Amino acid sequence: MLRIGASLAGCLLAASLFVPDTSSAADITLGASVQLTGPFANTGRYYKDAYEFAVDQINEKGGVKVGNQQSKLALKIYDNQSDVNLSVRQYTQLASQDKVNFLLGPFASNFAIADSAVSEKYRIPMVQGGGASDQIFSRKFKYIFGTLAPATDYFQSTVEMMTKLKPEPKNVALLYADDAFDVSVAEGTRPLLKKAGLTIALDERYTSNATDFNSLLARIRSANIDAVLVAGHETEILNFIRQAQSLSVSPKMYSFTVGVPSADFRKALGEDADFAFGMTAWLPSASLKDKWFGDAEQFAKAYKAKYGYEPDYHAASAAADVEAFAQAIEDAGSTDPQKVRDALTKLNFDSLYGTIAFAEDGQIRLPQTVIQIQGDEVVPIYGKQGFITQPKYPMPAWNARQTTGAGK
Amino acid sequence: MRGKRPGPENSEAEIQTNEGIAVNLLAQVLLNGVLLGGLYAIMALGLALVWGVLNIVNLAHGAFIMLGGYLAWYLFTGLGIDPFLGLPITAVAMFVLGYLVQRLLLNLIVRAPMFNTLLITFGIEVVITYVAQLAFSADFRTINPSYAGNNVSLGPVIIPVVRLMAFAAAIVLTFGMWVFLLKTRLGRAIRATAQNLVAARLYGIEPRHLYATTFGIGIGLAGMAGSLYGAVSQINPYIGATLTAKCFAISIIGGLDNPLGVIVGGIVLGVIESLALLYVGATFGDVASFGVLVAVLIVRPSGLLGRTA
Repeated sequence: MLRIGASLAGCLLAASLFVPDTSSAADITLGASVQLTGPFANTGRYYKDAYEFAVDQINEKGGVKVGNQQSKLALKIYDNQSDVNLSVRQYTQLASQDKVNFLLGPFASNFAIADSAVSEKYRIPMVQGGGASDQIFSRKFKYIFGTLAPATDYFQSTVEMMTKLKPEPKNVALLYADDAFDVSVAEGTRPLLKKAGLTIALDERYTSNATDFNSLLARIRSANIDAVLVAGHETEILNFIRQAQSLSVSPKMYSFTVGVPSADFRKALGEDADFAFGMTAWLPSASLKDKWFGDAEQFAKAYKAKYGYEPDYHAASAAADVEAFAQAIEDAGSTDPQKVRDALTKLNFDSLYGTIAFAEDGQIRLPQTVIQIQGDEVVPIYGKQGFITQPKYPMPAWNARQTTGAGK
Repeated sequence: MRGKRPGPENSEAEIQTNEGIAVNLLAQVLLNGVLLGGLYAIMALGLALVWGVLNIVNLAHGAFIMLGGYLAWYLFTGLGIDPFLGLPITAVAMFVLGYLVQRLLLNLIVRAPMFNTLLITFGIEVVITYVAQLAFSADFRTINPSYAGNNVSLGPVIIPVVRLMAFAAAIVLTFGMWVFLLKTRLGRAIRATAQNLVAARLYGIEPRHLYATTFGIGIGLAGMAGSLYGAVSQINPYIGATLTAKCFAISIIGGLDNPLGVIVGGIVLGVIESLALLYVGATFGDVASFGVLVAVLIVRPSGLLGRTA
């Protein structure tokens, strides 16, 4: 019995040794589980499209140089149906059965928190551009890297800008959904507001996927709040704005963590999206040079031509994840997960997304530029250097807005 | 305090006591709750009808609401048909769809155990949802007629026009249903079948056609609810499941015997949710609504307006 077991194990071992030879030897496979269906499919597709786009572009430019050999990149993507548990199973499969070389991330912090446990367990580096919550990086994991700036800093530039607005907003409502990312945003924003001398008149957590904001809006109105900061998901923010309009709630300004940079969000709201503030760590500027794409502007143009919609920071961050691996593999001169992991910690290169360098905890640090929807355009308003464009502030009352005609 | 802001309106607001603000706030939130309840009622009406008459808990109900929303969206953006004026078109199209689904699919299991009907309607829900994503993409849609953001103020209380119109539509449809079930020949036949199938057949009622008609009416109502939902909220392929859960709760709270019960259930739920959001906290909306559901099940298992068994 023991002998049979031993020989069986021998066979398995031999078989597993042969696996790399049977698959096309030169390919370096990046695996990911992404939300292609389900409630997060809307943002999930940015990740799939951008991963594909970056992999294709890198391959077209000759692939990745490992030592003195050129290797091509390959992708293996599963659809996690917007289900966290399924995504954990799929990452386990990618790591243990599919034996992919490296892992790319899913969208959203709560997914990244769960999935990074898999990369840690199998000691395969994961570079993810979909989760910004500090919770992902506070566990001292060694194999998780993130290209979204920390959630706690999302409103930093916005609060800074608020202190320079005339008339200065005095009291603030902070609303946030009850998930990892949004809770982190709220935790980071409270001390910022306090430091800026702004009063938090309303500090309220709401259920993710909430559709009814009428009660909160009534409170915002009755407390006469100047500025509303919302950390939530696009569907909630859409409902929030529509209901604000229908109740004529018009604070001096409102700002949202998501939605504003996304084309489909603006399309769904039409001109009602006007005046909304948001933030982005990325703008498709020609000044962001890139080894593979030329620069961010060219990236955005080519991306739109291929997929039919404008990339936002999610897409740029996802493309940067692929580039981070390409660069780290070249630096390491190897596809050994340990060596690539070490190379990732030392990365420092310019990309279409900005300078890719990870802090001690594995997360990138990038400043958020305040943006505002003005007419059909998303306009950069406030960055490191101060005001870029004059904000439209205070926001006009709903009935004082100029509409161009019957709906859209 | 804020000396720089001009206008008599503001100083007035500052003089106003906290009590006054609280009363205004309560009035506003109560009104929001009632209007929300109207929307809830129209969503649940079809589910309650199908459940009461066919004994099918239609887990795909929310998905049909979603389909109705998309239909109204296409009518509005493609043909410029107002979502309220388009209600009859949506209703008829969805009726036909519902009739066919019942005739070709659900009639096969209508007398099977409850579990089978749950399984098949769950399956329909999954199919509709994923076909919708393929057909319409995961992008959000809103039906946004020019008056969508309008409101009228009634003293300190503000009434959103679209919600008021949706509420009115809900009331009209509910009373229409009530009259239809009570006074018309077809309505009586539906009720007769629900009460005693054998006797109904002896009187010459053809159950397969009648079941399909009932289901068609239920889905037609779902379609109209979807149009209104799209006008006040947003539509994407995944809104169905949560809407089904809401409708389920409303049907139980209101009772299945009487369409008027559904409107009571909807308003009760809308008001309680809104008050919970105001006084308890914004994460307690669902806790409150399902709390009410449990309480009703304990105290009046056949619903607030249901016959006590």
